[in-house]
Amino acid sequence: MDVTETSVMDDSIDQEVQPTREVPVEFSGKSGEFFGIWIVNILLSIVTLGIYSAWAKVRTQQYFYGNTAIDGHRFEYLATPMQILKGRILAIILFVCYSLAVSFFPIVGLLFIFAMLFLSPWLINQGLRFNCRMTSYRNVRFSFAGSYGEAFMCFIILPIVGAITFYIALPWALRKMDEYVYSNINYGDKPLKVKLETSQYYLASLYVVVATGIIGAIIGALVVPVMGLDFANGTFDSTNPAGTVLFVFAYLFLISVATAVFRSHIRNHLFSVSEFEGLTRFKSAVRVVRFAQLLFVNSMAIILTLGLAYPWAKIQLAAFLANATALDMHDNADDVLDSMEEQKSSFGEEASELFDVDISLT
Amino acid sequence: MSQPILGTYYFPKSSKAHEAQLQVSGDMISLHYLGTCAEVFDINALKVSTEIPGVPMSIEFPDGAKFTAKESAIRLQPHRSNLAAMEKSKQLIVASVILVPLLLWFMIMVVMPRMAQASVAYLPEAIPEQMGKQAFKLIEELFLEPSTIEESTQQQVKQQWQQALSALNLSSDKYVLHVYASESLGPNAFALPDGTVVITDELLEKLIDKPDAVLAVLLHEIGHVEHRHSLRMVAQSVSNAVVFAMIFGDLESIGEILLGSGSTLVQSQFSRDMEREADEYALSHLVLLGKSTEAFAQAMQSFLDLSTGDKDPKLLKYLSSHPDTQERIDKARNYQQ
Repeated sequence: MDVTETSVMDDSIDQEVQPTREVPVEFSGKSGEFFGIWIVNILLSIVTLGIYSAWAKVRTQQYFYGNTAIDGHRFEYLATPMQILKGRILAIILFVCYSLAVSFFPIVGLLFIFAMLFLSPWLINQGLRFNCRMTSYRNVRFSFAGSYGEAFMCFIILPIVGAITFYIALPWALRKMDEYVYSNINYGDKPLKVKLETSQYYLASLYVVVATGIIGAIIGALVVPVMGLDFANGTFDSTNPAGTVLFVFAYLFLISVATAVFRSHIRNHLFSVSEFEGLTRFKSAVRVVRFAQLLFVNSMAIILTLGLAYPWAKIQLAAFLANATALDMHDNADDVLDSMEEQKSSFGEEASELFDVDISLT
Repeated sequence: MSQPILGTYYFPKSSKAHEAQLQVSGDMISLHYLGTCAEVFDINALKVSTEIPGVPMSIEFPDGAKFTAKESAIRLQPHRSNLAAMEKSKQLIVASVILVPLLLWFMIMVVMPRMAQASVAYLPEAIPEQMGKQAFKLIEELFLEPSTIEESTQQQVKQQWQQALSALNLSSDKYVLHVYASESLGPNAFALPDGTVVITDELLEKLIDKPDAVLAVLLHEIGHVEHRHSLRMVAQSVSNAVVFAMIFGDLESIGEILLGSGSTLVQSQFSRDMEREADEYALSHLVLLGKSTEAFAQAMQSFLDLSTGDKDPKLLKYLSSHPDTQERIDKARNYQQ
């Protein structure tokens, strides 16, 4: 059956026939090690009035990239602290102007909001482009090819469409956004081919609605009476500390489950339909229960330690996601990789230095 | 001659990779793969990645080739980093765990409010003027309806206001009182940064037989304007947002919740301090006008009566933006005794 179909189908089927080998994604970051980096960097950031935070960001990124390896080759984060610092200064200027305009001159602020509507697709593109270009694997950089028009469509128009259709179109809009972000990624001169299915987004959304409905009902039945939440009067007995604590628990649990349900489904789907042709396919097997458990434990740990468990939680998450991910590399991927010579768009593009920044605060 | 450094060599501007070794001798580094010495470099011509604990060094050669070491502990001598040593230092890590919360607290509770207060004093008067004018347009459009209170009563209130202004040497051009009906705001009075003060019908009716109490409320609002509280609030929340975003930039959702609730606590702490300052202003100026501070207590008492259903529970006290009303009444009664 396969044979007859292959003969009529296009060449993407040919590649499936090619022999592949499964390659795991290895993550070797350690909580203790990263804790030191994290806390010392925060101290230095405070002491330098925030300037060092650009260095802190680069070091954190380099730690996570450098500890992620596929097939024995580690990822590299190439941005320099000065690039990050420039981006942050621009972002601060923009943000401060924006907030001051909105709060000092509300009417001028409205104009500013309108202007931001048109500026933000460019900023989003800038961020995606920068982050791709600063990622390198086997001495080959990633790049991002999205255009302003598409970004405007995806990040401004589609969310509005999602909202005015009472969120019925939202899963479709989310698919379009993901498609835009991922199908515009290139590794060297190889574009990432992504064939997302809208139905999977509706399915994921449905699961979220069902899961939160069930958990919400359980919380309503078991937890709410203890919390002293009185819906009839709309009051909340905040003198009952046990109730407040329970409320926080229940809320985090709900968020963790909803996030895990949606993200695991979408991630697994996204990876299964993504491919660098001739190089590799992707596999993601995130298990929803384990994922929800991890997210919940992470958030509890962060809260109970007043934030000190953050590095531990971040490492747990990265290790979990890496562990659930694998590549189906073509046997001759090495030959293809070895022949990837300098491309105009992929290597050492030094032009437009001024705007080679990610204008963001984070 | 030291031990060779094992790793992977990536050919210039290509993803072609090969197991390789580096041999360091003095200032020269030789690259070996496939059993032969391929090239020799001056150590100072190489770009070595910054040292991050747990991440093997990566070396960029002048021709765009790269070498990534196998072991993270191995570094080239002239490229050791103090930062990485700091990040690995047990003493500094412990010190950071103690110092970071203290410094954060100091920054947010002491440094930034002072900076906000100081910088706000330098803002030209035109900014609060514009801010007030534009905000008033929006609020008037959205929340206010024409007053239904008798003209004569309104005139009385405004007359008293004018007298108070001239007695206190405040500009009657700046401080303009409006009376409006507002269902959404309820019994309320507020001031905008330019000196526009609005009192609602609903509040006036409550205090109809206590003109001094009305004055006390209005003086409280003038206190906010004189101290430029709204400007300070804006300056502080913007600078807090910037600092939090920069220092804790990559926190995901849960960290944001934690930070969000933290900054809500901080913000409400400040707004309560500002309420106290405005109370203080109202009380001291009531005294200046030769009125009893009891008038302020009366005004507060009627707010308290309004919210009898609300028990002002202990836990929420910290979250409420106004200090406990009973506390304010007591303060007014004991003022300058």
